[in-house]
Amino acid sequence: MAYEQVKVKTPLILRLLPVLSVLAFFGAWQMVVDREIVPSTMLASPIQIFQLFLVKWTEVNPDGALLSQHIWTSVQEAFAGYLLALLVGIPLGLAMGWFVVVEGLGRPIFEMIRPIPPVAWIPLVIFWFGIGISGKIFIIWIGGIVPCVINSYEGVRMTNPTLVQMARTYGATDWQIFKQICIPSALPMVFGALQIALALCWTNLVAAELLAADRGLGFLITMGRKLALPDMVLLGMIMIGLTGVVIGIIINYFEKKLLAGIRR
Amino acid sequence: MDGGKTRKAKIEVRNLTKRFGDLLVLDQISFDVGEGEFLSIVGPTGCGKTTFLNTLSKLIPSTAGDIFIDGEVADPKKHHLSFVFQEPTCLPWRTVRENVAYGMEVKRVPKAEMEKKLNQIMSLVGLADCADLYPNQISASMLQRIAVARAFAVNPDLLLMDEPYGQLDVKLRYYLEDELVRLWEQLKSTVIFVTHNIEEAVYVSERILILSNKPAKVKAEVKVDLPRPRSLIDPRLVEIRKEVTELIRWW
Ligand SMILES: Nc1ncnc2c1ncn2[C@@H]1O[C@H](COP(=O)(O)OP(=O)(O)OP(=O)(O)O)[C@@H](O)[C@H]1O
Ligand SMILES: [Mg+2]
Repeated sequence: MAYEQVKVKTPLILRLLPVLSVLAFFGAWQMVVDREIVPSTMLASPIQIFQLFLVKWTEVNPDGALLSQHIWTSVQEAFAGYLLALLVGIPLGLAMGWFVVVEGLGRPIFEMIRPIPPVAWIPLVIFWFGIGISGKIFIIWIGGIVPCVINSYEGVRMTNPTLVQMARTYGATDWQIFKQICIPSALPMVFGALQIALALCWTNLVAAELLAADRGLGFLITMGRKLALPDMVLLGMIMIGLTGVVIGIIINYFEKKLLAGIRR
Repeated sequence: MDGGKTRKAKIEVRNLTKRFGDLLVLDQISFDVGEGEFLSIVGPTGCGKTTFLNTLSKLIPSTAGDIFIDGEVADPKKHHLSFVFQEPTCLPWRTVRENVAYGMEVKRVPKAEMEKKLNQIMSLVGLADCADLYPNQISASMLQRIAVARAFAVNPDLLLMDEPYGQLDVKLRYYLEDELVRLWEQLKSTVIFVTHNIEEAVYVSERILILSNKPAKVKAEVKVDLPRPRSLIDPRLVEIRKEVTELIRWW
């Protein structure tokens, strides 16, 4: 980094605002439940959720697994789907952006599949894969592949045409131009896809776990609903949010490292 | 055109014609370029100079006519062509040195030979100091020098330049023109240099072709038989400059 970050001191009051809003939010929530403005069958209080959170680290009942097991299952499913989406989507998008034959063949099918929401695949997936983990991975995969293809495709399309001409005058083959000019040009867009696809995969997780599952955060929510336990539903929701944030931070970190290595 | 008479004709352009739909841009252009010659092409803005280079380099197909290198139809995959574009064309993800090496990489020049050539060229164009920097870390003038260095590095059969210094200020341009002439003298490439700057054309080249307004035709040819190093205030150079200016003013 050539330029030093200019440090501007934020006034104390401005830095306190987020804390205040969060405190107020949870305070109000707690109060609404304590005063029974909303019946406890419909909403659990933050304190109850936190208690359940602590309990679920050691207690498998009533849903059959520890919280850490739910998280781990979900993370595994989401990542398997995510990695498959990257592995298939990025090369496909890159190739579609440069090779007219690939575009001609792949584009119509992709455009047909793209608008179908991943949840709509559930019945078919049950026919094909049964109710094991592979079906869930398929649903996550099919949702995650869309931004991978689109971003890689657009990235290649945005390659500066003069650079391509330059390579051509040196006698570069189509394959050389693709490898040496188009892919590096597309990389920032491809990295953008990493974040977008991950967010999508993680969101589709709950949908995927609507499939008969016996473990996972989405399953925790479903069980909470079946057992009429609002605190369990909310715990599942909050854990999906929190884990998603943590994964986002990790990906962001690696993306920065990778980009710094490729382009200064 | 008899420019190639004294030496072997390396490049033969025959009846090169280009239309974009109904718009005739190049009208039956024919000329020869001798081996190792430095030929400039001047013409008014918008007359079709870039189109002319693009057809010469096979970036766009010609409507009629062709270009021959050593008697064979030119082919970028077979012949060594280089093109320095009007705008800088550095690859932002490669260092300066890797950028200069790009043309040689495409042509699969052996590693050892490539290193040797790189060292030679990098010091000739004064890029050795910033070899490991990335294009966004160096100034705009440097970017165009990278393109020039990359073009010379492949030992081109034909080096095409499209107003490479058009966007630079006068002082820097003089400096880079000298550098260009030095590179050409040492590496003995055959150069076609396109510009609309008459002084620049007279200063760097051995022969000048003057194009007419659109559709472009070769209207005249002027030899620049001056010893080097040249001086811009040399009366003979001023004389030739006036002659070329007169020729252009006619239409
Ligand atoms: N792809 C194209 N399709 C249609 N017309 C074109 C195309 N490329 C160029 N032209 C036309 O051909 C003419 C010559 O353009 P060209 O860019 O070759 O001129 P030039 O001499 O290089 O101009 P400059 O001095 O501005 O660089 C212009 O009238 C332009 O509109
Ligand atoms: Mg031009």
